[in-house]
Amino acid sequence: MLGNFLNNYKSVVGLGFVVLAVALVEFFEVRAAVYPGLLPFFEWLKYSSWIGYLGITYGSVYATVQAVHLVSMAIIGGTVLVADLRLLGILLKDIPSETITKGTHQCFKYSLSAAIATGIFCAAGVADKVYYMPVFWIKMLALLAGSCFMFFIKQPLLNSRPHKEIGPWMLRMLAVASISIWFTVAATGRWIGFS
Amino acid sequence: MRKDVYSSVKIIFRIFILRSKGSIGVINELLLQFAQYLEAQEYSQMLVSGYYSWNWLEATHVLTLMISIGSLFIIDFRMLGWVLPGVSATTIADRLHKPMIIGFSIMFITGILLVYAKPVENVQSLWFRIKMILLVLAFINAWVFNSRMRAADGTWDSARVAPKPLRTGAIISLFLWCGVVAMGRFIPYDWVDCPKVSNTALLWASGCVEQLNAL
Repeated sequence: MLGNFLNNYKSVVGLGFVVLAVALVEFFEVRAAVYPGLLPFFEWLKYSSWIGYLGITYGSVYATVQAVHLVSMAIIGGTVLVADLRLLGILLKDIPSETITKGTHQCFKYSLSAAIATGIFCAAGVADKVYYMPVFWIKMLALLAGSCFMFFIKQPLLNSRPHKEIGPWMLRMLAVASISIWFTVAATGRWIGFS
Repeated sequence: MRKDVYSSVKIIFRIFILRSKGSIGVINELLLQFAQYLEAQEYSQMLVSGYYSWNWLEATHVLTLMISIGSLFIIDFRMLGWVLPGVSATTIADRLHKPMIIGFSIMFITGILLVYAKPVENVQSLWFRIKMILLVLAFINAWVFNSRMRAADGTWDSARVAPKPLRTGAIISLFLWCGVVAMGRFIPYDWVDCPKVSNTALLWASGCVEQLNAL
């Protein structure tokens, strides 16, 4: 019976373990212990790595990579909004939601990869500043949460069965959660620029 | 005879350039005067000096990219067959038209307010000027693209890729809008700001009236 339960609700059980792990990390102050140890890596990223060197020395390269990061973010936003607004029944209502979510997912993966690659370059150029910014760490957490949510919860659930069998409120919650997470990633990214 | 024709053409070309420079010089002066008038206004100073007003304005302008350019890129990608190939292209373009227009409207309003907050800086920014030119070209391309799409008889609708003219329009659109975003990203950087530039052509292109008059 336990085996059946674990088999049928793999994602939910996995998510439960992740939440438990995060709670334990906070409770035993593991994050506070690990944080000072990351400073040498961030300093290496800025002053010793080639991406940090490029970012500091050639401002035009840094600005161009930032522009690519913005375009990638725009494409992520476009794919997320099209897919999630379809799940909410607001947009493209005459097209099956399975078609929309599957059709936009590939584009989402490519743009997310581009955003992460350019984001690493952008962070490397100012690594010694972002290390001390709480909003940077919030963005990283939101990015991790968004990626895990997309690849381990949302897409597996949407691909597992026809959407009519999933339930309208579940689809709406998935869509709202997805839009909220990715908006948080974008907004905190913008706020890094103001800090 | 050929040398005479060549010399004449050179002279006519130089006169044309000088008259254009003169005209554009006048336009640069008028733009600077208008920008200085806007900068002196109370609301302009309030927008730029308020910590939250400026930041919220800029954040809204940038974040709305996801709605406007995100929708636009999905339409362009569909024309190229890169996304949603099984869905009718005209349906995608038609359904995403409204969110795209809403996004661009918000960006247009916030963009005007951003220029109003820092008018002199923007009017004398080479990147801002290039951005405006690219914006005009992008809107012309969009108008041509829409006309061609309406004129097309729709037999290609279920095809994976659109006909060549529409694909060309989509590629041009992608390049122009990437250029708009890049130029917008370059505006805060001071590499070619008026006090830092000595090249006459750059000063003229950026509208650095005071520095040009001082030469």
